[in-house]
Amino acid sequence: MSLEGKLALVTGSGRGIGRAVALKLASQGADIIVNFFRRRDAAEQTAKDVEALGVKAEVIRANVGDPAKIDEMFDTIGNNFGHLDILINNAASGVGRAVMDLDVKAWEWTMNINARAVLLCAQRAAKLMEGRGGKIISISSLGSFLVLPTYTIVGVSKAAVEALTRYLAIELAPKGICVNAVAASAVETEALKFYIKEQLMPDTRQATPAGRMVIPEDMANVVAFLCSEEAFMIRGQTIIVDGGTSVGLLTLVGKGAG
Amino acid sequence: MTIEEQIREIVARITHVDESIITRESTFKEIKADSLDIVQALVAVEEAFDIEIPDEEAQKFQNFGDFISYVENHVGQKEKA
Repeated sequence: MSLEGKLALVTGSGRGIGRAVALKLASQGADIIVNFFRRRDAAEQTAKDVEALGVKAEVIRANVGDPAKIDEMFDTIGNNFGHLDILINNAASGVGRAVMDLDVKAWEWTMNINARAVLLCAQRAAKLMEGRGGKIISISSLGSFLVLPTYTIVGVSKAAVEALTRYLAIELAPKGICVNAVAASAVETEALKFYIKEQLMPDTRQATPAGRMVIPEDMANVVAFLCSEEAFMIRGQTIIVDGGTSVGLLTLVGKGAG
Repeated sequence: MTIEEQIREIVARITHVDESIITRESTFKEIKADSLDIVQALVAVEEAFDIEIPDEEAQKFQNFGDFISYVENHVGQKEKA
């Protein structure tokens, strides 16, 4: 699986899953555009680590919740490179609240960053993939179809991402663009540690059938596969990476999920 | 309009409070701003002044006075650079 000579944009790749994906694609030869919003130091570290793998890295700051910033980011990519081969929609945010505490502001913030950005980035990326084809992979989560505590808006936004993945897969297929998503259960990241510490999420670390938590590299491995030609016939799918959690739910009762 | 006035205007707009209740001594908690309000205020101020306010710096702000001083110092630095 070589991605030599390919150019990949990974949104939100300063930390967590995005960083792991950036490093995995870089290890297979892809040049990486590291997008970030809030943590420049983390993004610059990812870029440095990408370059240490012998490929090029460029850091671009953009809040993907803002359409004007998405346009600026893709204008920069267009001007500097003239093309794009891979788009990884990873950047995400969310407001953890119970249903009755949700408001318009929380809804718009989360939906704009997690779902609308996937559409807008895909539209701009598809133009840069014109005549050469490409891959668009979005990161989703089990919350798109399972209920997690205080996860409502994020779960809804991820359901939108998965639906959008299906539509994009069909409409962009004639352009030679493969579109898929990868959904994780709770992934061991800084964000998850925060959720568990603040008791916004149960600690299910001991309850994954595979015997350990999903780590960012597990996600990166599947994303990299979907970016390869071996995955050419997989279209519009959401691949679940959860160590068996979702299919083994009933066996988990009483094993740390309460 | 001074930097302080601009920041007060931005924060008041985002948190839906009257500008007059935001003083250098007030805190986000006192004006009932939630975590989303705070992030949106930081982003709006960053854009208004074309600066970056890292989260770890923002977490050190004890009140709006600290927030305003940080922006004043960094806008100044950028102009000097």
